[in-house]
Amino acid sequence: MRKLTNGQFAWLLMAPGVALFLAIIAYPLVAALVTGFFEQSLVRPGRTFVGLANFADLLGGDFWPVLRNTLVFTLGATVIPFLLGYVLALALNSGLPGFLRGLFLFPWVIPGVVVSFLWLWIFNANYGVLNGLLGTEISWLGQPGTAMAAVIVTKTWASFPWMMVMLLAGLQTMPRELHEAAAVDGAGAIRRFRSVTVPHMKGIAGIVFLLEFIWNFQHFDTIYVLTGGGPAGATKTFAVAVYDTAFKGFDLGHATALGGLWMVLLLMLMVLYLRKEAS
Amino acid sequence: MTVTLSASVPTARTRRRSPVNRSRVAAWIAVVVIGLFGLAPIYWLVVTALTPDDRAFSFPPSLIPTEITFEHFTRLAENRQLFQYLANSVIVSVITAILSVIVSAYMAYAFSKFRYRGRKSLMHLVLASQLFPQALLLVTLYALFSATGLLGSYTALILSFTTFTLPLCVWMLKGIFDTVPSTLMEAAAIDGASRWRTLHTIALPLAAPGLIAAGLFAFVRAWNDFVFALTLADPARQTLPPGLVHTYLGEFQTAWPDLMAASFVVSLPVIAAFMFLQRYLVGGLTAGAVKG
Repeated sequence: MRKLTNGQFAWLLMAPGVALFLAIIAYPLVAALVTGFFEQSLVRPGRTFVGLANFADLLGGDFWPVLRNTLVFTLGATVIPFLLGYVLALALNSGLPGFLRGLFLFPWVIPGVVVSFLWLWIFNANYGVLNGLLGTEISWLGQPGTAMAAVIVTKTWASFPWMMVMLLAGLQTMPRELHEAAAVDGAGAIRRFRSVTVPHMKGIAGIVFLLEFIWNFQHFDTIYVLTGGGPAGATKTFAVAVYDTAFKGFDLGHATALGGLWMVLLLMLMVLYLRKEAS
Repeated sequence: MTVTLSASVPTARTRRRSPVNRSRVAAWIAVVVIGLFGLAPIYWLVVTALTPDDRAFSFPPSLIPTEITFEHFTRLAENRQLFQYLANSVIVSVITAILSVIVSAYMAYAFSKFRYRGRKSLMHLVLASQLFPQALLLVTLYALFSATGLLGSYTALILSFTTFTLPLCVWMLKGIFDTVPSTLMEAAAIDGASRWRTLHTIALPLAAPGLIAAGLFAFVRAWNDFVFALTLADPARQTLPPGLVHTYLGEFQTAWPDLMAASFVVSLPVIAAFMFLQRYLVGGLTAGAVKG
């Protein structure tokens, strides 16, 4: 038997993975992008080519509120946990007991639907503990303004521990001598944070922020269980809109066209991420 | 370690003492405030699960339980439908984890130990595929499974879960194989072992803890999935996350204490898995950096 080159051997090892990858990730994704140019139903066979009609429909209306909601949710659910996680990481890195790190992981570890159930209960208008504590009777998830805030708070709760872990790992690789030298030179805590910690953390902080941003940009579970995209579409993000258009409206053409527009925005973020990871 | 420093620079030490204490206080304040936000909801989950129905549905709720009951847990144990969801979750998550680890171990080994054409772009593609939007993928996966007659089956669930566990495992395991010294493999080659044999008798055993960690991560991700299971499984094969939504949220009045008890139980395996995974946490979460 002829001996394989190293390259051939490597491709042989990868063959099952590559086949799976092509079948369940690459093909469906490409097929989805193509479907955007057709009028197609989820439940009836056959389809008609309609060119850019689906995209024109979306850009003439639905796309913009969905983009706005997605951006509001993504920014809120990324910036707030990032800040909380950063503050917590700095605190834990200053010599507090190590078991605290593990304790803080709970919100992030428990399953996403459990997070949603728990906060549905907390935000419950009639018996919820939040109204109980505040002495109010607000329907948090029933009004557009508070619904978005509630969804962001919920996602923040589930995300900040991950931010903390990653940023803490970054802080722990920072040479202590740098801080000590700066302190000897008379730099205060804030000055040391700005001129020693921040430059050291730039790489990891950027990656963590960007990854969370990308994940939130396509987040589905919490929003879907908490509000289903409502009330009156106030929390309808791309993920929820694509899902609803396909599986409640049975309109695959518009669903995938919206998905295609979404994907273009995501791709830009991904390129940014891959560049950062590579450096 | 500060001893040598303060011995040589005594003035710096006296100057630093009070700011250090102040920052220690600030650190504790941050931990307590964020800790309240982080842990109070968990406390509330547990308290609600132990509260009798009539007390849970009174307003305002009492923050400290006055009466404790385990009736919600016993009611869970009597619910056959939930056991079916549980069995489905276990079957699907375990098979997903095993399949993902086997397939991705070979792929990761190839990425880690060989240099060949197409390697780098493929690595980027695998990394990027973790970031593809699930909801969009789902639309065509649904059509694909529908056309192949797999819709509703365990196979459909397992394959759909693999879309996110495969990239995760490949990246984790590449990182693991990178730490296995290539000299060991070269030594085996000199001794006449084939590449295939070297992989199975040297690299895989050395990577065993990493394989287990990757498998556990895949299990957790599969266990937690909501949207794929919600859409691709028929009612008899639904896993716990969508199963709980259907069981509890559709009703006129949600049985919150029962749902909190169920939430508690569903979280247990995941919490147990993470206790083992603590030290792999950071590597597993960034899914590795693109290097080499």
